[in-house]
Amino acid sequence: MTDILPHLLNGLTLGLLFALIALGFTLIVGVMEVINLAHGSLFALGAYFALTVLGAGWFGDTAFGAWWLSLAIETRYVAALLIGPLLAALAGMALELCLRPTYGKAPLYGLLLTFGAALVIEEIIRLGWGTGEQNLQVPAAINGPILVAGFIYSKYKFFAAGFSLVAIVAVWLFLERTPYGAIIKAGAHDSEMVRALGYDLSKLRLLVFGFGAALAGLAGIIMVPIWGLRPHVGIDVVIPAFLIIVIGGIGSFWGAVVAALLVGLAVGITGAYAGAWATMSMYILLIVVVGFRSRGLFGRKSALEN
Amino acid sequence: MISLADIPSRSPVQAYGPVALLALALATAPWWLPAIGLYQYLGVEVAIWMIFALGFNLLFGYAGLHSFGHGAYLGIGAYAFGLFQQNVALSLWGGLGAAILAAGFAGAIVGVFVSHRRGIYYALLTIAFGQVFWFSSMKLYGITGGEDGLLGIPRPPLTFFGLEFDLRSNVALFYLSAIFLLLTVLILWRLVNSPFGRVLQAIRQNETRARFAGYEVWRFKWAAFVISAMFAGLAGGLFSMAQQSAYPDVMSLHQSGLIVMMVLVGGGLVSFWGPVLGVILYFVARDVLGGLTETWLLWYGLMFMAMVMLRPEGVAGMLHLGWKRLRGGEKPAVLAAEKA
Repeated sequence: MTDILPHLLNGLTLGLLFALIALGFTLIVGVMEVINLAHGSLFALGAYFALTVLGAGWFGDTAFGAWWLSLAIETRYVAALLIGPLLAALAGMALELCLRPTYGKAPLYGLLLTFGAALVIEEIIRLGWGTGEQNLQVPAAINGPILVAGFIYSKYKFFAAGFSLVAIVAVWLFLERTPYGAIIKAGAHDSEMVRALGYDLSKLRLLVFGFGAALAGLAGIIMVPIWGLRPHVGIDVVIPAFLIIVIGGIGSFWGAVVAALLVGLAVGITGAYAGAWATMSMYILLIVVVGFRSRGLFGRKSALEN
Repeated sequence: MISLADIPSRSPVQAYGPVALLALALATAPWWLPAIGLYQYLGVEVAIWMIFALGFNLLFGYAGLHSFGHGAYLGIGAYAFGLFQQNVALSLWGGLGAAILAAGFAGAIVGVFVSHRRGIYYALLTIAFGQVFWFSSMKLYGITGGEDGLLGIPRPPLTFFGLEFDLRSNVALFYLSAIFLLLTVLILWRLVNSPFGRVLQAIRQNETRARFAGYEVWRFKWAAFVISAMFAGLAGGLFSMAQQSAYPDVMSLHQSGLIVMMVLVGGGLVSFWGPVLGVILYFVARDVLGGLTETWLLWYGLMFMAMVMLRPEGVAGMLHLGWKRLRGGEKPAVLAAEKA
């Protein structure tokens, strides 16, 4: 039994990271009923922006770049953590503007449009940052190995898992305890009524999409030191994200978190005994769950079924 | 959206014109392809993708079932063909039969799972199953050769009533693919205008109503899935001959998305011929645009996005509108576009 503990721990940390990725996704699906296949691309975009901020990308040769690079890595890392998601949010808002003609039509169109957007963003990344694998630097304080109960772990994994936990709780508090969260939730529940109450629905959608995209970008910056950064990381990431929201039930916050932990555990445990098949376990989990509960674990009836 | 269902059931006579045009273009392709600076292999590729796209559109355009994992069945066909050549016998008919049956069998199993679902859940489940097949093809090293795939798949000669044709040249393989393409067109045309095809269109319009009209909807959805998987398998078998290999890449989400893009851009939602136009447009974009700029996929993606936003009825829909304007000066009927 003790052998399995490290794998459980591994699975749980992975699950928390998955939850962070799925958070923005489920928010957008819940409020806008759009399956955003470009979510992974926004994730990648956030990480690439952070890479530029951290390494002083194109402005490295200017005086400002020299001054910037002379700053401590911690300062630059925190700046990247703020600016990366912000720029991803802008990209997300641009995408939301493109999505407007598809509102009121079959959900297929949103899916198709965001698929096209994923392709376009990936090509833009190839153009802007090259096709090779890149590395996002992290401060030494959260890097390196750590010994827990006789096992060696990477410190960064704990940082990432802790960060995800904080982000999940923060988003939950935002949704549950602030008036803005109430409007967003109301928008997911009955958008017509929200409009009737005098809120600007298109502004709400724009902001929610931006918020979801920012969360995607943030997840990208946190995940990429573990997973590596390459242009098609977006496609690799969007798949677990949507598996999770489908397992959890579309539009359900805690459904997504629980499903992410389940998927993390499944991947962690399968990884221990049959490493090559680790990724496969998510698909099997999806097929089993959706086979028995067509709306996922915590899902309600949704317009996306029509 | 104007929908297929707005276009009434048509007799074979109406297909004669376009089929003759297609047959003429195909028959003469080996002469005009090099003449306009292209190459023979392109013809093979285009014909194979047309078979795939037409079969896919039975599901996508006619039944309104949005499968996002259809590359899997193309790949299964390709692997089945290769494995048959390497382990059973060197035979064209055997290999293609194996490709069609294997893809149909996989489609039949997946169909059982997905046919009770609708809308976005249908799309998501087909993605998941597509990924399962893709992943398996990479990991079942002993059978599929892992990420390298099956290499050195031969092109067995075509035997037909005692005659034998060598298929090792691309032109010969092109003619074989072209014949299969024409057969596909004829079978599918017959199918979509049959009572079966009408029920599929009814499901597309309103699944609940179709069920209340007394149809066992899920059986029709299942059958449409299996049939379209079989056409994908046929295309896959031909594809493995064309490439002389079978590899996991053809089953990836990327490929599955590509076929959706081609069919939609061409106008598969509104026209039987949409997939054909879409495949042509894609390969023109790849080879012509790709010759000019390395970032052609970016431009194709942007064009696709614009199409989804502004003209979801695709090239076929635009041609249809233009034709109507040209003919009578009659104001084109407000297409039921905004309805759906």
